[in-house]
Amino acid sequence: MTTKSTTAAGPVRTRLSRGPSPSTRGRNRLNGLPWILPAFIFVAGLIYYSVGYTVYISTLDWDGLSPTAIAVGLGNYADMLADPVFWASLRHTAVFWVVTFVVQTFLGFTLAAIMHSRVKLATLHKVIIFIPTVLAPATMAPVFRLFFADDGMINNILRGVGLDSLAHPWLADASTALTVIMMITIWQWTGLWFILYYAAMSQIEPEIIEAARLDRAGNIRTLWSIVWPACRGTTVSLAMLSFIGALKTFDVPYLVTTGGPYHSTEFLGTYIYRQGIRQAHIGYAASISIVLLVLAIVGAIIIGRANRRKAGE
Amino acid sequence: MFEVRHRSSRILLQLLLALLTLPFLLPLVEMVKGAFAGLGFQNFVVVWQTGVVPTFFKNSILLSLSVIALVYVGAMTAAFGFSKLRVRGKEVYFWLMIVALTLPEVILLSPLFVTFTKLQMYDTLFAVILPLTALQLPFAILLARNFYDGVPTELMDAGRIDGANVPQLFWHVVLPLTKPIASAIVVLTLINAWNSYLLPLVFLQDRSNQVVTLLPQFFIGQYSNDQTKILAAAVMTAIPTILAYVLMQKNFERGLSAGALK
Repeated sequence: MTTKSTTAAGPVRTRLSRGPSPSTRGRNRLNGLPWILPAFIFVAGLIYYSVGYTVYISTLDWDGLSPTAIAVGLGNYADMLADPVFWASLRHTAVFWVVTFVVQTFLGFTLAAIMHSRVKLATLHKVIIFIPTVLAPATMAPVFRLFFADDGMINNILRGVGLDSLAHPWLADASTALTVIMMITIWQWTGLWFILYYAAMSQIEPEIIEAARLDRAGNIRTLWSIVWPACRGTTVSLAMLSFIGALKTFDVPYLVTTGGPYHSTEFLGTYIYRQGIRQAHIGYAASISIVLLVLAIVGAIIIGRANRRKAGE
Repeated sequence: MFEVRHRSSRILLQLLLALLTLPFLLPLVEMVKGAFAGLGFQNFVVVWQTGVVPTFFKNSILLSLSVIALVYVGAMTAAFGFSKLRVRGKEVYFWLMIVALTLPEVILLSPLFVTFTKLQMYDTLFAVILPLTALQLPFAILLARNFYDGVPTELMDAGRIDGANVPQLFWHVVLPLTKPIASAIVVLTLINAWNSYLLPLVFLQDRSNQVVTLLPQFFIGQYSNDQTKILAAAVMTAIPTILAYVLMQKNFERGLSAGALK
């Protein structure tokens, strides 16, 4: 901590003490380069070095350890296009993004609206909804494996209310495993959505709501035509956040289902890990990483653009 | 937002809230129930007696503190430069860093694995601290810069007239005003560092270097057929986080929502 702050402040101080003429001194005093360089060199160095290196590795057929790596040009990228698991991962990511975003937005918005009404024990409910957000997916993964197991709580509840036909091992079934991964994610992130919508709703002028009421707008009508549009900025930010989050998804599918069964919960992150670390196809994993990075940047730009266009209307 | 005039509709709304909250509680109930199943509290004693729990916690604390310190110092100084000082080509530097926000950490694995192995940093906490800091810094700088932008320049001008140099202005005038954003950055970084999983999974192999997020995996290896011990370990890792949140609710909520919004 101390070393870092002295390197940041050091050059400024030495230059000041030298301070040749008053005029250049005044300009130098506001020179910010020494202040931003330590952080910039650290971040850009590590990240762009890694990205550049990944681009290079992506043209190799390499296991990461052996001294001989075969240059294959764009071969890895060609393999990717023909790899059904890669396409399945992309499909899962898209479904995952749309579903988790829609459900979290609906739940977060509804909960925030309810808490803004006069309800009892609001803080208790808020704490319960937000706790999942601060817990590590790695900590909760064993819990969820049990929760959705054949003799887990979900199946016990289903059997308890007479829905025996629905009870089954959720995670071992390729048709329901992805749903479970999405449910866990929704469980984890709705709290954040809720807090943000709650804050956005606090910004709405009470007079506007009052006016709507005087016009005899009902609860649902007021929410839909006044409150929801007023929270648009929050919704767009959350869309972008969840888009990048969906592309980065790793912990939950890796820990709860390891991408299975039969790749039914494979995401780009888990597939890169499987290819790169587990099977030592480092070149192939690197090429998928690059596609992932391009998707993240392009997606973020598109959402940002769409937002600006809409805001300009 | 809902206007409820009648008692019946008020009760209905309260019920709806309880119904919507219940699913968030159930997994936590399952976790605690599972941890006390069989031997009861003895599960925790057995887990503790393996002797690895304090090591994992110590490493997590070390890791989090290092990342927080680096991110705090880096973000506060860099954001000050970006917001209040003259830098040629400032926005280019800024955007080069902001692009990193979209970067999935999985991209760092192969290059860093190869590099850290060469530098003999593989399987040390540094191998996790460095990339985590690099990933956390851009957003912290973005947050801090937005905050500094709201600090009136007149304050600095006044200080300069009094003869203060830039480091003095930073230290005595600007830094004392940054508490709200600093606490948000610290909490956000703390959660991301404490809960980080992928980087420790790949870069920390020796048990003496591992962190709390790897604890469940460790116990799965130890007691493959005994769910109760694994869940007891999960409860032990969850308790500090939940306690920290309940004690500093406002900070956590502000920090995490700052993490979602610009």
